[in-house]
Amino acid sequence: MNFFKKKKKRIPPLPKNKAIPHVGDPAEDFEELFKKFKASKDFLSFQYPSEGAFTVSYFKTIVSPNQVHKEILLVLAEQQPSTLIEAKKVIPIENMKISTDLKVIQNAAMRGAVIIQLEKGNGNCLLVPCVSSEKRQISVPETEFSVVGPKEAFVESLETNVNLIRKRLPVPELQLKEIKVGKISQTRTAILYIDGIANHENVNRVCQRISELDYDTIADSSYIAQMIADNQNSAFPQFIDTERPDRAASVLSEGKVVILVDGSPHALIGPASIGEFFSAFEDYLLNWHIASGFRLIRLFAVLFSVMSTSMYVAVITYHYQSIPEDLLPTLIASRGAVPFPPILEALILEGTIELLREAGARLPTKVGQTIGIVGGIVIGTAAVQAGFVSNVLLMLVALAALASFTTPIYQISNTIRLIRFPFLIAAQLYGLLGVAICAAFFLSHLLKLTSLGRPYLEPLYPLRLQDMKDSFIRLPFSRQKKRPVNLRPEEAIRFEPKQEPKPRDIDE
Amino acid sequence: MDIQPKENRKVSAYYAMFLIHKMQLGVGILGFERVIAKYAEYDAWISIIIGGLSVHVILWLSFRILHKDGNDIVSIHQFTFGKWIGGVVTVFFILYILLITVTILRTYIEVIQVWMFPGLNAYVLMIVLGLLVYSFVIGGFRVIAGAAFMGILITLPLLLLKYFPLQQAHFSNLAPVFNHSIKDILLSAKTMTLNYIGFELVFMFYPFLNQPRKAEKWAHFGHAFSIFIYLVSALVSFVYFSQDQLKHSVWATLTLWKIVDLPFVERFEYVGISMWLFGVIPNICLGLWAASRAVKRLFYFEQRKSLIYLLAIVLMCSMYFETRQQVDLINTILSRMGFWIMYFYIPILFVLYTVVHKVRKKTP
Repeated sequence: MNFFKKKKKRIPPLPKNKAIPHVGDPAEDFEELFKKFKASKDFLSFQYPSEGAFTVSYFKTIVSPNQVHKEILLVLAEQQPSTLIEAKKVIPIENMKISTDLKVIQNAAMRGAVIIQLEKGNGNCLLVPCVSSEKRQISVPETEFSVVGPKEAFVESLETNVNLIRKRLPVPELQLKEIKVGKISQTRTAILYIDGIANHENVNRVCQRISELDYDTIADSSYIAQMIADNQNSAFPQFIDTERPDRAASVLSEGKVVILVDGSPHALIGPASIGEFFSAFEDYLLNWHIASGFRLIRLFAVLFSVMSTSMYVAVITYHYQSIPEDLLPTLIASRGAVPFPPILEALILEGTIELLREAGARLPTKVGQTIGIVGGIVIGTAAVQAGFVSNVLLMLVALAALASFTTPIYQISNTIRLIRFPFLIAAQLYGLLGVAICAAFFLSHLLKLTSLGRPYLEPLYPLRLQDMKDSFIRLPFSRQKKRPVNLRPEEAIRFEPKQEPKPRDIDE
Repeated sequence: MDIQPKENRKVSAYYAMFLIHKMQLGVGILGFERVIAKYAEYDAWISIIIGGLSVHVILWLSFRILHKDGNDIVSIHQFTFGKWIGGVVTVFFILYILLITVTILRTYIEVIQVWMFPGLNAYVLMIVLGLLVYSFVIGGFRVIAGAAFMGILITLPLLLLKYFPLQQAHFSNLAPVFNHSIKDILLSAKTMTLNYIGFELVFMFYPFLNQPRKAEKWAHFGHAFSIFIYLVSALVSFVYFSQDQLKHSVWATLTLWKIVDLPFVERFEYVGISMWLFGVIPNICLGLWAASRAVKRLFYFEQRKSLIYLLAIVLMCSMYFETRQQVDLINTILSRMGFWIMYFYIPILFVLYTVVHKVRKKTP
């Protein structure tokens, strides 16, 4: 198989002695560091309280001015400390550091610390953390809205998000590990789990994968989700992302691992199995019969959304014999005038729907609604009247699009949107057999897929009847005595049921 | 040589049921009625039971062999016959497995050609199916066990379709019971062999079962379930078709799907044959997996590569059989080979293995 081997490109060897400076690398000496700082207009450096006393320097855009004025400058002016150690004693702020390490100084300054030096100092710096971070108010969840239940959603600040989870789980076993990811962005990533419940293998796997990440800027948790996925070439998301702190808290107590990324209003939950992508948190807020019914409806909707158009194409193209006699006139009346073969008709309509969705998603909400109405009603009706597409297919495609919106997790609904097209093409090639072949390809993929090393199709395969209690249906809370087996929790029992009283006899 | 698979590559004991059941229920079920009714006619259902019970005995014997050392057939052959002869016997076993695979693949394509797409270019479809099989087998034994399980889950509802022919059944067809000679019934039981072929693969996947001693029970359940399905299918066909019709129905079960009449779909065989893909693919996968694993164990050949070569061989062999007569021919050959392997080779292997085991124990 030598034909396919890539020819080795000759790369000129790099000069070894000269280390190439990278962005973000610490400066070589103090002067260079300050030169770098001063290149920015928002960096301030001045002598305080008098000429020859302390040198105070900071980036004015990331420190909180109030705190600098009241707790640092005022104190320095009033108390008149003569050394850095004394200054450290008098300034009423926690977590101060005295350091000469240029790397530490640089990192601290870039994260909103005020640097205080003695003018004729020996390079010693007192670093006073004084961050002011702008953050959004906690608002109502949008993609995972529920009519009943809590209405808080995660925001972009890591501290607020951890607070939202911690106040729901006030136990010391809820532990947090923090890893900085991204050479430039140095995004703080928190891994939360409950010690003693979460399987350590899962936690270690997450920690290891995140600490091995090598990338420059992490803008959102979805970067991390894609990078630490078991199979990065899969169309299926392998972590659930949620914006509901209540959902994050309740899966933590199931033994899952939650990943929070600073600057991202979405938490990642793993390990995940495919069934969970179709379960909304609202399912736990409703009575179990109703919740189970909704889950089944969603599953059916997904199957319908993926299969319906391709079934139409397969049947109309190849297997028209299997259309019942009573249904035939309806189909003929609708399709008789259409000049295109079914596959083209279907592709036109599916393409239109995708266009509408994309347009609706990119436009501001109000314009987006108009586009929806214009597209849905006007174009649809016009296309049918012009004889380009058939009524029946228009209905099927619209229903399929509607059905794909029933999924509570946004990521999987995109997957469903995408995987319709392979099915369509397969249906055109081999009819119903093609649909089956395509489904088998997806089955083979799903069987191989894992999330944090745990099988993706669980509890269907490996068959675990125990875990069926909360997958396709949701049984009442009294039946949820054990945590899911798939997570291999270290403490499997969720609660010890009290002795159930014997059912009373009739009229007793 | 006696490498045990890693713990995280094994499956639970009860998957023996799905694997054995799935392997037996390949394409034969779609049209076995005519063949078994050749001798015993409407009494052939007794042959299904007799043949099934005899296979239970063979299955029991197989587990007696396997339980001794917990190894697969490659080690067993080496232990019994020595390195060289054992290797040759294993090569024959591999060829036998490949023959099973070719038969299943080619017969399924034949069904598609006859029932769905008469003008189909079989080569292209074979290559597509080959890719599909590759995509399963590359995932390892667990994925194949999953495919077998999902295959059963998807195809089992097709059994409900037997309701439609039952509406027009002539139950008097079955009476009188036992109006054929014992010889006829046994001859029918012999032709039933082809449909029970496949459980021999337990000789390859045995080390992959957790707690294999428990698996024995599940394997018997799986086989019993196969007997049940064959029995139901045969009985329904017997009460629906007359003797003459049955003689001319090459694919009796498929013909029965034709009469399904639901408000949203007629001529169910199109749907049925498509769904049956999930009944066929796991068998081909398991066959190829077993063959490539045996090659790996015998020649220390990377399974990834041997899989590709074996897949190419299977596809080329399948392409070689073009006409209906040739497809019939490989079915007949497989049926005969299966008969000899089941009823003669396995008992002989059992005796030899036990003897060698005793001798080796005495002289370590």
